Amino acid sequence: MRSSKLNRPLLAAAALATGVYCVAGALPDARAADAIAVGVIAPKSHILGQAIFHAAELSVAQFNARGGVNGRKIELQEYNTNFSAADSARAFQRAVQSDGVVAMVGVFTSEVALSLMPWSSRLKTPLIITGAASSQIPERVHAQPERFKYVFHGYVNSAILARQGCIVAHDVFTNNPRLKKYDRAVIFSEDAAWTKPVDAAYQKCLPKAGMKVVDHIRFAPDTSDFTPIYSRIKNDHANVIMAAIAHVGVKPVVQWHQQQIPALFSGINGQAGSSKFWDATNGATEGVITGTPGLAGAPLTDKSAAFYAAYKKRFHVDEPAYDAYTTFDAMSALEDALGKAPNTSGDALVKALEQTDITGVLGRVAFHGLNDKDAHEVVFNEDPKKGQSFVGFQWQHGKQVIIWPPKLATGHVVVPSFVAAGH
Amino acid sequence: MNIAYAYWRTGLALLALIVTACLPAVTSSYYLLGVLTTAFYLAVYAMSWDLLFGYAGEVNFGPTFLIGLSAYAAGLCNTFLGWPVWVCIPIGTAAAMLGGLALVGPALRLKGPYFGLVTLVAVLLLGHAITIFSGYTGGEIGLALRDILTLSSTGNFYYALGLMAITAVVLRIVVRSPLGLILEASGQDSVATEALGFSVIKFKVLAFMLSALFSGLAGAMTVFYFGTASPGTVVVVAVTVQIIIATIIGGRRSIIGSILGAVFLVVAGEFLRPLGELSTTAVSILALLVLVFAPNGFISVFGRRGAR
Amino acid sequence: MELLLQILISGFIIGAIYALGAAGLTIIFGVSGILNLAHGAIVVLAALVAWYCALQLHMGIYWGGLAGVAAAVVTTYVLYALVVLPLSRSRQMAADELPVFLFVATLLFALILQGLLEWFFGSTPVATPALIDGVIHIGGNTVPLNSVLIGVVAWMVLGGLWLFISFTRLGKAMLAASMSPRGLAIIGYDIGRIHLLVWGLYGLLAGIAGVLLASFIGASSGVAINLTATAFTIVILGGLGNVLGSLAAAYILGFLGTLTAFLIAPSLREIPGLCLLIIILYLRPQGLFGRH
Repeated sequence: MRSSKLNRPLLAAAALATGVYCVAGALPDARAADAIAVGVIAPKSHILGQAIFHAAELSVAQFNARGGVNGRKIELQEYNTNFSAADSARAFQRAVQSDGVVAMVGVFTSEVALSLMPWSSRLKTPLIITGAASSQIPERVHAQPERFKYVFHGYVNSAILARQGCIVAHDVFTNNPRLKKYDRAVIFSEDAAWTKPVDAAYQKCLPKAGMKVVDHIRFAPDTSDFTPIYSRIKNDHANVIMAAIAHVGVKPVVQWHQQQIPALFSGINGQAGSSKFWDATNGATEGVITGTPGLAGAPLTDKSAAFYAAYKKRFHVDEPAYDAYTTFDAMSALEDALGKAPNTSGDALVKALEQTDITGVLGRVAFHGLNDKDAHEVVFNEDPKKGQSFVGFQWQHGKQVIIWPPKLATGHVVVPSFVAAGH
Repeated sequence: MNIAYAYWRTGLALLALIVTACLPAVTSSYYLLGVLTTAFYLAVYAMSWDLLFGYAGEVNFGPTFLIGLSAYAAGLCNTFLGWPVWVCIPIGTAAAMLGGLALVGPALRLKGPYFGLVTLVAVLLLGHAITIFSGYTGGEIGLALRDILTLSSTGNFYYALGLMAITAVVLRIVVRSPLGLILEASGQDSVATEALGFSVIKFKVLAFMLSALFSGLAGAMTVFYFGTASPGTVVVVAVTVQIIIATIIGGRRSIIGSILGAVFLVVAGEFLRPLGELSTTAVSILALLVLVFAPNGFISVFGRRGAR
Repeated sequence: MELLLQILISGFIIGAIYALGAAGLTIIFGVSGILNLAHGAIVVLAALVAWYCALQLHMGIYWGGLAGVAAAVVTTYVLYALVVLPLSRSRQMAADELPVFLFVATLLFALILQGLLEWFFGSTPVATPALIDGVIHIGGNTVPLNSVLIGVVAWMVLGGLWLFISFTRLGKAMLAASMSPRGLAIIGYDIGRIHLLVWGLYGLLAGIAGVLLASFIGASSGVAINLTATAFTIVILGGLGNVLGSLAAAYILGFLGTLTAFLIAPSLREIPGLCLLIIILYLRPQGLFGRH
């Protein structure tokens, strides 16, 4: 016993030390000579994460086919966020310190986005966030521009999405000659930090859109039974649900449909933008209205249709999700910056990215300056010639039909029978 | 014989520490240092948890209650009061110790899984509180801190290594002292321990305080390492799962076991990263194999077969 | 009045699903002393397989549901054969430490299962088709027939379970095993066979709960841990190993949550239940209906 006990710590310590040194020696360095490594980071298992990987892959393939930049090609490195801030921070370190990545694109959830921001400044490596919509991202860049200047936001923030929702509400629900007036709104948000600016924006802009806000309901993101909430909405005699949901998606929609709640389901609905939402809800999403950038290759610019076709051909999937469009545009901006920057250092790339002015698949791609309120966020504009643009759509018979803006509309809004019957 | 053995042991531990501490001099990989930094913090969590679970016999599902309290207290202190890192870390640790004190009451009254449930509920309530006060805490998005420990990877590596070494030494001294034996005895049979004239309350309080002290320190330092505090890094049950697995596969009731388990878990996860989404699964399979074939953990592989 | 009725209906359905989800867990604990932390993962597995077979393989909801339940039973046996049995027979640990190891092993099994589910089905939540379409109106409330059916099915399964335990030879043997395994062995029962039966029964109950859950609120690999935590809460609150206690606990938590959501705020739904839990455990450390 004594003698065996003696060598236990010895062996353990030796194992620990050799283990550590083995790791040190065996670190991979797989970069092809002369290629520029660019990282893309997203949750691998999620459809909206896969969209980010796909779009980045497509962009790089097209870029390299065009000959790259000064004869150098881009090599794409993929990292899984695993929905974990800690995992993502390690992945970012590996990307920069071991794989030689010069810039990182992607990120789907706000928690991960926020946790990677300090790392991008520590690693002096540009990070273009394309999936998360938190208004905290530009706010924090604006508050500490020196520290967070490496962070860019390639997707509009949630307050802008909310204001856009109001504009759709104005044009489609309250001032639509084809429809009786739907003007009693209830704000319906998951209780999360990202929905607070959305609720504030709704409170302000819904009355301007001709709507009366009759109730404001915030519910726990892990709510499973929505019956109490829906019965409150019925008692309010609301006829429009203005949602701000992303973590929940299937549950409220399925129960809205099953319980036949007589109110239009509209607003921000993170999951409903995905083409798989129809299968996920087993068709309960019929009639749900929401908005998203891109959508079915809506011809926002002369590049939209080509991207749409190439994406569907390469990946054999139904539709690119919103973050496929934003990621593709962010990659285009980065490729443009790589061509213009004198070298691939973080600071040179940041300077070049700040000068971005190109046409993407969602509209013009340009970033706000560090002094603007939406610092380093992609410029938004209803006119695709001026900035990233947005369409409103409704689920109809398993398809996403564009109902706004009128110029691009492929159909008209259809009120679900149980909503119409309720009034 | 005994004395010689003790010298051996101390010498070896010191050697391992020195070898690890020299690492930054021989490797140019900041990435490796980053990986080990995370592993060392996890090791501190695991050691603190093992003090309660392995030695004091408490089924504690709530290590992240203590870690989270400290992390958020320290984070809020830095963000809203603007106080420097080295003031906020003790404040966070104090919050964790208060939390630890709050758990002693139920621990004295409840046994096994019943106490486990209370600790789980504590974590869930903390999670709800973070959501409800999202105006301050940032809710699910997390809290961005003004300051961080240091920008340097090497510096962060030494902070983590230092904390781990101190924790290991203090806990080692405690568990090898008569105090540790009483603690272990009270965990196995508190009535008999009382009958022998020892105050179980006193020792339980001590165990919880020590566990809270080190998990609190590590929790606060972790958020100042990452630069953000978010539920996903310091509160959710998934973090607890990591701590439990690190402790068990390393070897219960063994300080060095917890360290080995934590380093294995983090380093294996990084090595298997090329597997993509299946990397977590692969690590879990490895850990399950260890558990089924060597239930006493890595440490038993190094000689203590079938003991205890 | 309308509100009261709504609360009653809503609480009835939620409580029934909670109870069904927890029933298997408490039986397993009663008979073999194992807290199976892979519970939520097995429930989710049944839900996702049911969804996949029903919609992607076009088997229809009933065959899909059956496939989901079958998958849960098979997985439960895999867990039993590859993890529980080898560990129980291992001589490398003291007998009184076995529960701890089993509990960590089931936790690891849950992680593996969850990882595989995420890899195969993705992490996006899904809902299966309603078992039955349409709504009924009860006193001015619109209630989906599907929810009513789910509540009824859950109660029928629980009733069947009670009949099985109370009136069949095997069921009685199972109950006896939870009281005194040694005594049962002495009178000539093969305790191994009883365990085999109990794990199968557990898989069946978890599978049915998963399929019902998927059509009521949907499921995704990410909710597995939460499902385990909820079921664990109910099982402990009811008193470990006590099926009727779990039923009562499920209803207490179900109604409390529903009441809070209706009368106070939907965002605070879980909190009164958690606080009550601490109070109850403080007053009755063995759970509401625990034996010790």
